Amino acid sequence: MICLITCLVAASGCKDYLDVNKNPNAPENAAANLYLAPMLHWMVTSPQFDARFIGRYTQNWYLPTTAITTWDQQGYDTSSDNGGQLWRDVYWSLGHNLNRMITQAEAEQRWDVLGVGYILKAWGWQSLTDLHGEIIIKEAFDETKTSFKYDTQEFAYQEVQRLLTLAIANLQRTDGFVNQSYLAVGDKIYNGDRSKWIKFAYGLLAINLNHYSNKTGVYNPDAVIDAVNKSFASNIDNALLAYSNTANDDTNFFGPRRQNMQNYRQTQFIVNLLNGSQFGGVDDPRRTRMLAPSPDGQYRGLDINIINFGTLTTAQRPNNIWGYAANISSGVKTTYIFDDKSIMPGMTYSQLQFIKAEAAYKKGDKTTALTAYTNGVSAHIDFVNERNLDNKQLPTQITPTEKATFLANPNIIPTAANLNLSQIMSQKYIAQWGWGHLETWMDLRRYGYTNVEALTGKQVFLGFGVPTALFGDNGGKTVQRIRPRYNSEYVWNIKSLEEIGGLATDYQTKPLWIIQP
Amino acid sequence: MLLFGLFFLIGQTIAQENTVSGTVTSSEDGLSLPGVSVKIKSSNVGTQTNVDGKYTIRAKAGDILVFSFLGTIAQERIVGTASQINVSLKQDSKALDEVVVTALGSTVQKRSLGTSQQTVKGEDIAGTQRENFINSLQGRVAGVDVISTSGVPGASSSITIRGVSSISGSNQPLFIIDGLPIDNKTLNTSAFFSEISSTTSQANRTNDFTNRSSDINPEDIESLVVLKGPEAAALYGIDAANGAIVITTKRGKVGAGVIDYSNSFRIETPRGKPEIQREYGPSAVGSTTFLYFGDKYPAGTKFYDNIDGFFKTALTQKHNLSLSGGAENVTYRISSSFTNQNGIVPNSKYDRITLTGATQATLNKWLKTDLSLNYTYANNDQPRKGDGGPLIGLLVWPQTDDATNYLTAVGERRRITTLGAGSEIDNPYFNVNKNKTNSKNNRILANLGLTITPFKWANIKSNIGVDNYTNQNVILRHPESTAGFGFRGILDIANDVTRNINVQNLFNINKFNINKDISFDATIGQSLQDLRSNIDASYGENFLDFNFVSINNTYIRNGRNSQVRRRLFSAFARATASYKNYLYLTLTGRNDWTSTIPEGSNSFFYPSISSSFVFTDVPAFKGLQKYLTSGKLRAAFAQVGKDARPYAFVPGLEYKGTVAGGYGLGFTGPNPGLKPEFAKSYEIGTELSFFKDRLGLDVTVYRKETSDQIINDIRASYATGYILFNLNGGSTRNQGLEITLSGTPIKNKNFAWNLLTNFESARGKVLALPNALPESYVSDTWLYGNVRNGNTPGKSTRSLTGTFYLRNKQGSIIIDPTTGLPLRSTTFIDGGYDRQPDYTIGLTNSFSYKNLSLSFLLDFRKGGDILNATQQYLTARGLSMRTLDRMEPRVITGVLRDGRENSDTPTANNIVVIPNYQTGYYTGISEELFIEKDINWVRLRDVTLNYKLPSTLLKKQNFIKNASLFVTGTDLFLITNYSGLDPIVNGNSAAVGGSGGAGIDYGNFPIPAGINLGLRIGL
Repeated sequence: MICLITCLVAASGCKDYLDVNKNPNAPENAAANLYLAPMLHWMVTSPQFDARFIGRYTQNWYLPTTAITTWDQQGYDTSSDNGGQLWRDVYWSLGHNLNRMITQAEAEQRWDVLGVGYILKAWGWQSLTDLHGEIIIKEAFDETKTSFKYDTQEFAYQEVQRLLTLAIANLQRTDGFVNQSYLAVGDKIYNGDRSKWIKFAYGLLAINLNHYSNKTGVYNPDAVIDAVNKSFASNIDNALLAYSNTANDDTNFFGPRRQNMQNYRQTQFIVNLLNGSQFGGVDDPRRTRMLAPSPDGQYRGLDINIINFGTLTTAQRPNNIWGYAANISSGVKTTYIFDDKSIMPGMTYSQLQFIKAEAAYKKGDKTTALTAYTNGVSAHIDFVNERNLDNKQLPTQITPTEKATFLANPNIIPTAANLNLSQIMSQKYIAQWGWGHLETWMDLRRYGYTNVEALTGKQVFLGFGVPTALFGDNGGKTVQRIRPRYNSEYVWNIKSLEEIGGLATDYQTKPLWIIQP
Repeated sequence: MLLFGLFFLIGQTIAQENTVSGTVTSSEDGLSLPGVSVKIKSSNVGTQTNVDGKYTIRAKAGDILVFSFLGTIAQERIVGTASQINVSLKQDSKALDEVVVTALGSTVQKRSLGTSQQTVKGEDIAGTQRENFINSLQGRVAGVDVISTSGVPGASSSITIRGVSSISGSNQPLFIIDGLPIDNKTLNTSAFFSEISSTTSQANRTNDFTNRSSDINPEDIESLVVLKGPEAAALYGIDAANGAIVITTKRGKVGAGVIDYSNSFRIETPRGKPEIQREYGPSAVGSTTFLYFGDKYPAGTKFYDNIDGFFKTALTQKHNLSLSGGAENVTYRISSSFTNQNGIVPNSKYDRITLTGATQATLNKWLKTDLSLNYTYANNDQPRKGDGGPLIGLLVWPQTDDATNYLTAVGERRRITTLGAGSEIDNPYFNVNKNKTNSKNNRILANLGLTITPFKWANIKSNIGVDNYTNQNVILRHPESTAGFGFRGILDIANDVTRNINVQNLFNINKFNINKDISFDATIGQSLQDLRSNIDASYGENFLDFNFVSINNTYIRNGRNSQVRRRLFSAFARATASYKNYLYLTLTGRNDWTSTIPEGSNSFFYPSISSSFVFTDVPAFKGLQKYLTSGKLRAAFAQVGKDARPYAFVPGLEYKGTVAGGYGLGFTGPNPGLKPEFAKSYEIGTELSFFKDRLGLDVTVYRKETSDQIINDIRASYATGYILFNLNGGSTRNQGLEITLSGTPIKNKNFAWNLLTNFESARGKVLALPNALPESYVSDTWLYGNVRNGNTPGKSTRSLTGTFYLRNKQGSIIIDPTTGLPLRSTTFIDGGYDRQPDYTIGLTNSFSYKNLSLSFLLDFRKGGDILNATQQYLTARGLSMRTLDRMEPRVITGVLRDGRENSDTPTANNIVVIPNYQTGYYTGISEELFIEKDINWVRLRDVTLNYKLPSTLLKKQNFIKNASLFVTGTDLFLITNYSGLDPIVNGNSAAVGGSGGAGIDYGNFPIPAGINLGLRIGL
């Protein structure tokens, strides 16, 4: 009988018998649209992971503990992957998945999928180079290589522009197998709507071109304005991702379920932008809809130069970003974009309008700048209202009267002649607070954190202060970049890192190419 | 059913005979020998001697009675007119003529073996009263290293033979029971759904599950043979590259039915308890854990003995019952056991029930059958361990608070800080009462063997075996607990249905003489294996009722299925030639076809050659017998291949649980060129026997080199588009020395003293890593701070890497001039730490005096480093006793980083630090200072005192035939220079590959000391 079994195997052939190495747990290849959803998830979510760290550079929030943390001092954690999420997601979560999707989409003439693929590629390089400066592009995704050369940031910026041009060209095609419902399977941002993706591509292009602002002679405000004009027309076009909150991984990273933010507290800087301190005493209706009160009902922010909560009494300590003094668990009502089921933006209309305002202002077209600036502030107020309804959060809605009164105040919406850069950039900071970390940090770096607008004598970022004690290794310099991911580069690609000076102890203070004149 | 069916087939037909009776004694000491087989030659009739060595049999005149007993020379007597035949059996004294079980279950004379193996008797294993029989092997076999994960019931045990050679894969040996492989898996937490996300993943750091070979009841083991190297295990192929453990289970013996019952009751207590300071109180609360850098406790502060009260005296009971017997053609044995083990940690337990049946039958001249069935039920509750485990909670819980009071009046978790519930460490009582790690296993092992003898000169032995188990595992993170709070509880369930089928056919050619000097025997065989594991994992969070444990009670649910299959087809052959019975040469060859290597390179052949030379039997050397009773030299070389784990070379897509789902690639990149790895191993040894076998010496020297070693999950730059790779290109070398010294210093009619000493010294070294990568590590072992089991070329396979202190070229620590504290490396570096001991010695002494016997095993270890992470944790929190001198100003010896640190004249550090005010001294203290170098120990593994009730006493009744009482102590004492609780520790579990987390001590419960009382009776 036992011999019989053996004989049967022998008869059916050893080759067939051994052919059980096909992984039964998932297919080896998937349809192009099945790769899309996770990548779009990461496009919106990955920056939120790194926001724990970038948000401390930009003073969105502060992490009070018994000693001021490295990041609050514009430093970093040695031999840690903290601040390396985008590195992971651009190379791995997108990585070969994106390449596969692009290859398949092209072969199957799904130009819409292909266009979204190019956008994702462009988004990846754009975000990554803004964080790290030099990154690996040309040699990336060759798994047979063991060392990878870094490309310049100049190349990265040009590559983003090239990819966006390709993306727009493909998204405009209607031939082949362009199919909204096919794209919609993986596209939970625009549900397969090509026209919105085209707007998104122009928005990303505007962001890219506007970063050249310090490069006199290269910076082209008209091109920035043109790109913004072709992008989002209102909040309807916002790139939004709704977290479904069915498991850890599809829940808002900032939400209580994931317990990432329980110890973070808002800073004095953001509170002062909203409580009137920096805007002529005008209390911003968004203050109570975005921020967390202290148990005593007052809105305070923490001083990033003071250890822990300083002298604040328990009742004076700002609540966590969810609005509570103590930690909360999943399912409890929260504030703004910090809910488990929040709808998180990747790019917004108001953000782009501020970019347009900045470009127009620089160009000297204050009228256009004022319109865009006003759109930006107004649209963000609406955005705050929308977000607080995502899961019926704690804050009340900003009433039309509140909004109108606020916008009518000349300290907020001045005349075109009185408009200044500080208003544009500080209001942009508010509109991006909590989510637009990559762009906020670029803004701060473009303006040297504390640069003063010569015309007004005011700081571009009203009230921003560099930490009085900077991270030891910084040598007294502000942070300009995040080191490439430790467990990728500092362990497995050291030689190439050395070539770009990445082993220097103050590498994090080396200014990016894009912000230099 | 089948068993009893067969039993009733036996006819009892004997007529017209006389009764012959007599006594069988040992010629050595004159004592009667019970259990001697007495058979009438060429018939089915037989019996056994009773406890007093007496037998009675009905036989005709002219019949030949055959008296045989293991370890003696059989004798034959012709039945005449005398009704009494007394026999004195001579010990089969020549050690080398002992018959031993070796690869493929063949029984050979020890003299013919050219490889190293060692046998442990089943009664020695069972006698230790260990629930997990693997734990009884430490010290009993030279070269075997057993590391129990913790001292908790059901803790997994990792066993390595001859050190660690695989950098990332399994270093566990193959387990063979009655000829076929069985599964010894320790469930990897990757089976659970929560492992997908790093937020909820536990990475084998907080949970442990029993290694599955512990499903075997130690009382069912007849003997256990350790085939140490690839040389001995070559015929078992790729899974035996780390050696093999070959177990033979008990079978019934011909003769009247025997009922054996034994029990054991154990009391266990913790051997030591951790010490923490009671001088300085807590400081600013607000960080994620409790810090004790505050003011001194005011005089008169009331302290609670939280630690003392936590551990409890644990009771264990075991009952074993077996029925066995048989006639000439059929034997049977059925047995059952019940174990109920409680741990010293509240709510920890291990229960096991086993039922086994084995029957052998001779149907006719050419067919014999052997069927064994084994059912095991195991139920295990373990506390969490390591980070977030109750031990850490117990240590940092304020001593000014009564921890036993862990619930509020309304039954909710009682909190004592303003920290978030997800940040405040769990009260240890809350932890053990509310969090759960439970594993239930139902297993059936079936093994059917047929021996067909078509010719006198050969036989065919076929076995088919099924190893089938359903393993249900539950991890509960209570909704109010630190780990579960953010999710309102997490319930993880993984049901693993494993079904392994093994088929093996052997064609044995019996020994035949080619001429008067040369004889020859051989085996040709073939085997196939189909391994399949199907794990259904379900996951629930957001509990409705906080204390009702069911997936139905959760608001958010998820699930995942993971399947693994592997198939292996093998053909192999062995041939042994002997010259005048003193020179032997054995050749083996095996070819494997595996499903886990890409087609084209998935078939691979490897040979072995071994030779044995009993030089004392060579006529020219007969003179040596003056000094030597016998002497043998052996030498062997083997090659063995090893395949990859399933699905290692094709990058698989994974379901992504991100918004709207979808597919994406996993961490691991492709490797279409993956090929099998190979090990080449050499060993030479000698077995010498002196003073008529009163003293025996066995020395083995070996060296094994692996090449093209498959390194699983080795990292690369993310620019590859992947994070991990499975690459060939690793290389390791293991070498070592094993010495076994056995002796009988005293032996007379009443008193005997036997001793057995096993010495092992092993070294494993990494020679190369793929792509000249600087380091390979198993990420699960990065469980505490910045230390992990990193392997770097040129270093030990059991080394540790970490972000250790920066040192200048003179080796001085570099000090930060702004703080006066040492600077740490930003990359993982090898600091010369090695967890491999220099040597280990197991010393067994057995004394017997009349009916009393005493035996004990001492386990010595010299060297090997251990990371005392628990102590680092306590120091960083100001709880360690070594922080009591915190007010004392000090200057850390080192040089300042002022730009001259690497010159010939660096600036010596002169910055005074008072740790009490500069707590960074403690909070930033490197784990490096807590890697305790050269840990030695002497451990009394077990000691047994056994008293056999004298037959004079038992004669007064007819019911009980034999009885004995015993007391066994387990782990009664430990003398060590290790400052932690127990140096036998694993920061992970046996599921983790490579050198694993052995020697990383973080929040692990120590092995308790136990006293067993029990009795054995035979009816």
